[in-house]
Amino acid sequence: MPGNVGRAMLGPFADQAAVDVLNHEMGTDRPVLVQYADWISGFVTGDMGMSYAYRSPVAPFLGTALLNSAKLAAVAFVLVVPLGIFGGVIAALYRGRPTDRILSVVGLSATVVPEFVSGILLILIFGVWLRWFPISATWADGAGPLTQLYHLILPAIPLVLILFGYIARMARAGMIEALDADYTRTAVLKGLSYPQVIWRHVLRNALLPTISVIATQTVYLIGGLVVIEILFHYQGIGSLIYTAAKKKDFPMLQAGVMSIGALFALTTLLADLLYARLNPRIRFGGQE
Amino acid sequence: MTINHKLLDILRRGRNEHENHLIDGVVREAVSRREFLRYGSVLGLSAPLLGGISGALGFGLAPVAARAGTPGGTIRFGHIVPAGAINPVTIADPGGVTILSQFAEALVLSAPDLSAVPLLAESWAPNNDGTVWTFKLRQNVKFHNGKLMTADDVVATFDRLADPAVGSNALSALSGMLSKGGTRKVDDYTVEFHLDAANGNFPYAVSTDNYNAVIVPAEMPDDFEATMIGTGPFKLEKYTPKVGASFVRNPDYWGAAPLPDRIEITFYDDYQPQILALQAGEIDIIQQVPVLQAVGLLADPTFNIITTPSSAHHQVHMRTDMEPFKDKRVRRAIALTLDRPKFVQGLLRGKAQIGNDSPFMPAYPSTDSSVAQREMNIAEAKQLMEAAGMAGGFKTTLTTEKYLEIPDYAVLIQNAVKEIGGDITLNIMDQGAYYGDAVPGKSPWLDSEMGITDYGHRGVPNVFLQAPLSSTGTWNSAHFANAEYDTLVKGYIASLDLESQRASAGKIQTLLLDETPVIFSYFYDFLTVTKAGVTGVVATAMGHIMLAQASL
Repeated sequence: MPGNVGRAMLGPFADQAAVDVLNHEMGTDRPVLVQYADWISGFVTGDMGMSYAYRSPVAPFLGTALLNSAKLAAVAFVLVVPLGIFGGVIAALYRGRPTDRILSVVGLSATVVPEFVSGILLILIFGVWLRWFPISATWADGAGPLTQLYHLILPAIPLVLILFGYIARMARAGMIEALDADYTRTAVLKGLSYPQVIWRHVLRNALLPTISVIATQTVYLIGGLVVIEILFHYQGIGSLIYTAAKKKDFPMLQAGVMSIGALFALTTLLADLLYARLNPRIRFGGQE
Repeated sequence: MTINHKLLDILRRGRNEHENHLIDGVVREAVSRREFLRYGSVLGLSAPLLGGISGALGFGLAPVAARAGTPGGTIRFGHIVPAGAINPVTIADPGGVTILSQFAEALVLSAPDLSAVPLLAESWAPNNDGTVWTFKLRQNVKFHNGKLMTADDVVATFDRLADPAVGSNALSALSGMLSKGGTRKVDDYTVEFHLDAANGNFPYAVSTDNYNAVIVPAEMPDDFEATMIGTGPFKLEKYTPKVGASFVRNPDYWGAAPLPDRIEITFYDDYQPQILALQAGEIDIIQQVPVLQAVGLLADPTFNIITTPSSAHHQVHMRTDMEPFKDKRVRRAIALTLDRPKFVQGLLRGKAQIGNDSPFMPAYPSTDSSVAQREMNIAEAKQLMEAAGMAGGFKTTLTTEKYLEIPDYAVLIQNAVKEIGGDITLNIMDQGAYYGDAVPGKSPWLDSEMGITDYGHRGVPNVFLQAPLSSTGTWNSAHFANAEYDTLVKGYIASLDLESQRASAGKIQTLLLDETPVIFSYFYDFLTVTKAGVTGVVATAMGHIMLAQASL
C-alpha cells in the first residue's frame, strides 16, 4: 500500500506545496523505517498514535469500533452457536433421513450466499417493505440494551446464515463419530437412558472439533465484517480498517490490524483452554 | 423590447465602465436577459439595481418562486462520510463540504444557476483593470460564539488559505490569483483583494465554488472540529467522526430565520445503503447520488430528484507529445467517432449536457454558442486517419480510474474507435493508484498516453482552462503546449466584460476543436434525492446542501 499520505488526504488536485507541508506536519516525509520505529515504540507503551485523517488519537476510534464489533459478534454468536449445534445434532441423530438431508443442503446452501446478497434481501424485505426492523445497525445515543439488540438483529442474520451450515456440519460429523464409538455402545449396553448417553457421553466428545471451528469464526465475526458493516451502516472494526486503508491512514490501519491479530491469538488460546477443560486426554497428556 | 431610456440613463449614472458596457450589450441584444442578470451579479450590481435596469429595458426581474415552508421539525439526511477532520483549511472532499455548508458561509454563493449571489458580502466591484476587487461586508453578522464578523476575520481567512506554509487545500485554486497579504482591510466592513493578475470572474474565487473559503473567526482554534464556529443558519450540536452530526437552528442568524429546528446527518460509506435508508424512511434526503445508482429512484413518484446542472465532467486526454496522438488529425478523428447524444441518454439517463471538446459547457454565459457542435462523423474520421497516414488504425492503452460511470464510458470509447481501426486496451485502476502522487513520472493520470479523469464542478471555466490545458498547467495530462492557446486564456481570464470574454471563448473553443488534446463529451448533472413533499432544499454541484428554508 504505497503512496503519499498528504496527497491522499488533500486529493490529486491540491497544490504540491500544501501536500508537502501536510506531510511534514504529520511526519510522513521521514524514512519509512524511522516512522515505523516511532510507531512501534509508541504502540508497545500503549500509545496508538494520531489518526492522519481525523487528526485525533486512534485509541477512542479503535475502542468504539471494537466494542461495536463485539456487540454484533455476540448477537450473531448467541444466535448461531446453539442453532448450529442443535442442527448438527439433529442431523446426526437422523443420519441419512430427510431431516438430515434438508438440514445439510439448506445449511450449506446458505453458507455460500454472500453477505451482500442476503443482507440486501433482508433489508428490502424486513426494512423497506415490512418495516419490522431498522436497516441501520447504528442506534441513537443513550439507547438501552434492548434497542441496541433490535438494531443488531437484521445484520446478525446474514452471519447466522453463513455460519450455521459450517457449524452444523462440524457438529454432525463429530456426533456421528461419537455415536459410532465404542464408549457409546458401552454406555448403551450398561443400560443408561438415551438422553443420558447423548448428553453425558456423546455430546461431550462430539463437540470438541466444533469448538475449534467456533473459535476461529469468532475472529471473523469481529474483524471480518466489512461488507455487513458498510451495508448496515455500522461502525465496527471492519469498516474502520477499510476506510483507514482507503485513506492511507496508517496509524489507524496498523492499530486495527494489530488488534485483530491480538484478538486472534486470544481466542485461539481461549479455545485451547476450553478444549483442554473438556478433553481430559489433553489435560492429563503431559503426565503420561 | 421597449426601453425606458430616461430611467435607464438615471440608473446608468455612477455605474463604472464595465457595468455600462454590460448594459450596452443587453440594449444591443448581444447579451441575453439571463446572461445580463448573471454577469451583472458577478460585476457586483445589486439585485434592486439589476431589477431596476431590467425594468427600464422592458423585461423586469422574474419573480422568485418561493413557497413558504413550515417551520420546525428535524430534517434527516445522508451523505458520504467526510474523508478527514472538519477543518475549512484542509477539507478536500464533498463529504467535508456538505458539513461545512451547514454551519459556515462564504462571501458569495455560486448559485445552482451559476449566478453570483451575495452571502456574507453585500456587494463587490472591480477596479478598471480587474486587479483589485473591493467587497463590502454584511454588517451585524454574528459568529456562533457571539462575536461580530468583520474585515479582520475575512483578511485572516484568506491569508490562511493563501499561505503556502499551512497546507491549505485552497492553495491550488488561489495560486497565481491571490497571494498571502493580498487581502487588505479598508475598514471594518470593507475588504480589498489585490490580485496577482487581473481576473474578471474573481467573485467565484471567494464564493462557495472555492469551498475552503468560508469565513471563520480570525483566531481559528486548533480543534476547530469541536466547535465548528461559523456564521451559518445552524449551530453544531454534536459531531461524531465517521458516524454523523447534528445541528440546531442558529437564533442569531443574519438572514431569514431558518425553518428546521434541527438537522440530523448520518454518514455512509457508500451510496447503496443511503438509498435503502431513504426507501425505509430512515432519512429524508440524500445529498448526492450518481445517476447510475439513482436509476431506481428516477421514476419513483415517492421521491423527488433535484437536478442541478453542473460543469462536472470526464476529460479524455490524449498525449499530444506521444504516438499515436502526435498528429492532431488522429485526435480529431477519435473525437468524431463518439455519439455524444447517445452517451448522454444511455450512460447518463439524459442527466447531462453535451460537450463540444472544450471546457465551455453550454450553460456558461461566456460560451460562444455560435461555434458548431461536433457530431459523430465516421466518414470524416476515416478521411482524417488516412490523411494522417494511419488508415491502418492504431493501438493504444486507455488508463483510467474506477469511479462513477467512467469504466462504462471507457468501454464505449473503446468500441467507438474500432470504426477507424482503433485498438484500445483498457487499464482501469483504483482511484488512488490512478492519481498516484499527482506529479509527472509518478502518476498514471499525468503519464498515460490516453486516460479519463473526473473533474468536479466549477461556476466558471477558469480552472478547467488553465491547469489541465495550459503549457504550464499542473494537471496537463495531455501535455498540450500551445502558445496561442495560453495567450487566449490569459486574455479571457483578464477580461471584465462578457462580450470580450465571449469573443475570447469563441477563439479558444475553435482552437480546442482543431487541436482536440482533450475530449469533453458531456457535463453531468448533480442529483439530490428527497422524499416527496420535502421543499426548500438548495444544493450546489460542489456538494453544499442548504436547508435553512427546507421543510418536510
